[in-house]
Amino acid sequence: MAVEIALSQDGQDLTIKVKGRFDFGKHQEFRDAYERQGRTFKSVVVDLKDATYLDSSALGMLLLLRDHAGGDSADVRVLNTSSDVRKILAISNFDKLFNIS
Amino acid sequence: MVDHQPLTVLIAEDGAADRLLLARIVRNQGHAVLTAENGEEAVALFAEKRPQLVLLDALMPVMDGFEAARRIKKLAGETMVPIIFLTSLTEEEGLVRCLEAGGDDFLAKPYSPVILSAKINAMDRLRRLHATMLQQRDEIARHHNHLLNEQRVAKAVFDQVAHAGCLSAPNIRYLQSPYALFNGDLLLAAFTPTGEMHVLLGDFTGHGLPAAVGAMPLAEVFYGMTAKGYGLAETLREMNAKLKRILPVDMFCCALLLNLNFERRMVEVWNGGMPDGYLLSASGGEPLPLVSRHLPLGVLDSAQFDEQTEVWPLAPDDRLFLLSDGVVDTCDEHEQLFGVERLKQALVANRQPERLFEDVLQALERFGGQSRDDVSLLEIRAVAPQVLAPPPVVYSDSGESSPLDWSLSFEFRAQTLKRFNPLPYLMQVLQEIHGLRIQSGALHSVLNELYSNALEHGVLGLDSSLKRDASGFAAYYQERSRRLQGLQEGFIRLHLHVEPQEGGGRLIIEVEDSGKGFDVGRVLARPLVEQRLCGRGLSLIRRLSRHAEWADEGRRARVEFAWEALA
Amino acid sequence: MSDNHIDQKVLGELQEVMEDDYLRLLETFLEDSELRLGELHKAKSADELGHAAHSFKGSCGNMGAVVLAELCRQLEDRVKQQPLYGIEDLINQIDREYDAVRQLYRDECRRVSVG
Repeated sequence: MAVEIALSQDGQDLTIKVKGRFDFGKHQEFRDAYERQGRTFKSVVVDLKDATYLDSSALGMLLLLRDHAGGDSADVRVLNTSSDVRKILAISNFDKLFNIS
Repeated sequence: MVDHQPLTVLIAEDGAADRLLLARIVRNQGHAVLTAENGEEAVALFAEKRPQLVLLDALMPVMDGFEAARRIKKLAGETMVPIIFLTSLTEEEGLVRCLEAGGDDFLAKPYSPVILSAKINAMDRLRRLHATMLQQRDEIARHHNHLLNEQRVAKAVFDQVAHAGCLSAPNIRYLQSPYALFNGDLLLAAFTPTGEMHVLLGDFTGHGLPAAVGAMPLAEVFYGMTAKGYGLAETLREMNAKLKRILPVDMFCCALLLNLNFERRMVEVWNGGMPDGYLLSASGGEPLPLVSRHLPLGVLDSAQFDEQTEVWPLAPDDRLFLLSDGVVDTCDEHEQLFGVERLKQALVANRQPERLFEDVLQALERFGGQSRDDVSLLEIRAVAPQVLAPPPVVYSDSGESSPLDWSLSFEFRAQTLKRFNPLPYLMQVLQEIHGLRIQSGALHSVLNELYSNALEHGVLGLDSSLKRDASGFAAYYQERSRRLQGLQEGFIRLHLHVEPQEGGGRLIIEVEDSGKGFDVGRVLARPLVEQRLCGRGLSLIRRLSRHAEWADEGRRARVEFAWEALA
Repeated sequence: MSDNHIDQKVLGELQEVMEDDYLRLLETFLEDSELRLGELHKAKSADELGHAAHSFKGSCGNMGAVVLAELCRQLEDRVKQQPLYGIEDLINQIDREYDAVRQLYRDECRRVSVG
């Protein structure tokens, strides 16, 4: 699986791990990762440790996730970004919407 | 034993007994049979009756099975007609000849009805599969043609909208794939009524039709508001609000917008999500990056959207170079990106300005990247305003009902000054006076100067001498933005007075502000070069109007325009 | 009738497949065989001889004339090796074998038409 999910013990926090290219090909899988749970979460972490590349449709997917998680009040963090991925996020100024580290 | 659709099977066999036996076996399996005694007969029968399957003896008189197979395959064209060779040939060479002639299978003598039946069924499955594949291929081709045609039409409609602007101006050069629209790339340029140039290079998320649909409303807002004289800030706010409203959450548009004022020699920049553009100084030196400081259009609510721009001085022959992410994101075979550094090197190494695109493209080629179809390049050169001739505005009314004797007064207070630009509205009112239309560019420029003087130096109390050099220039506009956000009090009063005169009429504009005023005599005494960079555009106002004067220690400007009666 | 000239199992299967046309098949085979033998004798080159032997071998095989089919196979092989002297012996053997099976097929025709 190129998109893996993990739930915290109390089920409040969701971690979504994306592997390989994060592009339109992952659209359905990524969406399923949070929608399949049929509920909302206190926080969502997107772990990009094993993501090699990220395109503009991936940015769109992050926006969808943020919207699903509550929009402006959402706690969505993007973790373990490589320098290339960070550059892409920086150009789009997504650090204004997401907690990126 | 018919468990499938009956076929018509052609049997070509020169031995009469073998032919009789084979025909019987095949008929018993429920198929219709055609028989031929040699290859020539077989080919003729095939051409006439188009059987679905052929059993062919290899060695026959007149024309052997190999030649017959070749001719039948040729006649069949794209349709798959399986050929089973009937042979007691055992040596490899003979079997290879059968395959080379187009045979699909063999049946050895003596004939076994069970094996023959199995082979016919297998070949029939293959034949059907092939037919389905052809059908699907044709369907895909049909859909594809349909799609291409739709794209062609969509592009034609869009080009009508997109090319409404001034992309063909002599100081603009661009390079874009003809299908850029379907890559989500967008390039727009238009003159404001005062002869400023607004430019947008955008990139919608995704590809194909979804990427193209957002382009239309964006272009409409861009052209509509630019033509009415709105500034970048208002246009940006409107574009963002519109895209936010109509696009799904995961779609947005990265965009870099420029407002080039050749008269005041400055360029205003807003970049949301596009790669750095560059300001290339005519006097050389490091390219100045135009960095993305904002989220793309269509992401944020209007309340959170930040339309703040940066302003840089623009000397004649300075150039602005913009590009799409297709350039820096071009990958080589090791998934290495071309990147910003290589681009900068190419920009710095460029010696002949007119070969800039070629140099960048050559650098891309040398890098060995896979060429992408979504590379957009744009270059705008700063020129004297006279070089550019904004197209005349076309008016639809006859002028018979032109109002000629009226006055109008406004007072704009702090909360309004923060967000609202009254000039496009006022210009629309003044456009009603037919005699003035011929001067509308000058009128617009003068109103613009008067209003920004009143706002920036009057209400906001900004010191124009800050604009003496490039860094001060940027600082000036940052400070302007900061003070405007914090504005609590102050006003600008605007009076328009129109009256008929012998053989025509005149317009008097009075602009009054709540600021401290200025020493008019001293400013006007400065040399022209200095006035241009940091003055208040006073000389411009005097040049463009019939009469201009300042009163109340510079707090009130009074400018007059006049016109002759129309023929 | 006990002999090993013809495979009786093949004949049985042929009758089953051909039903009413079984007799016609037997008669057609005999007529066809006369033509094939004529071709064998008239052949003017090794190639023509090989072709004729190959075709005859095929139909003999189909009809269960196993010995005749085997002799034709030997002939087909033999013509590939020059010189051809001594080949007449093989053709004579085919003639004799054909005489024998012709009688057997005629008996079979009679049996079928009577039955």
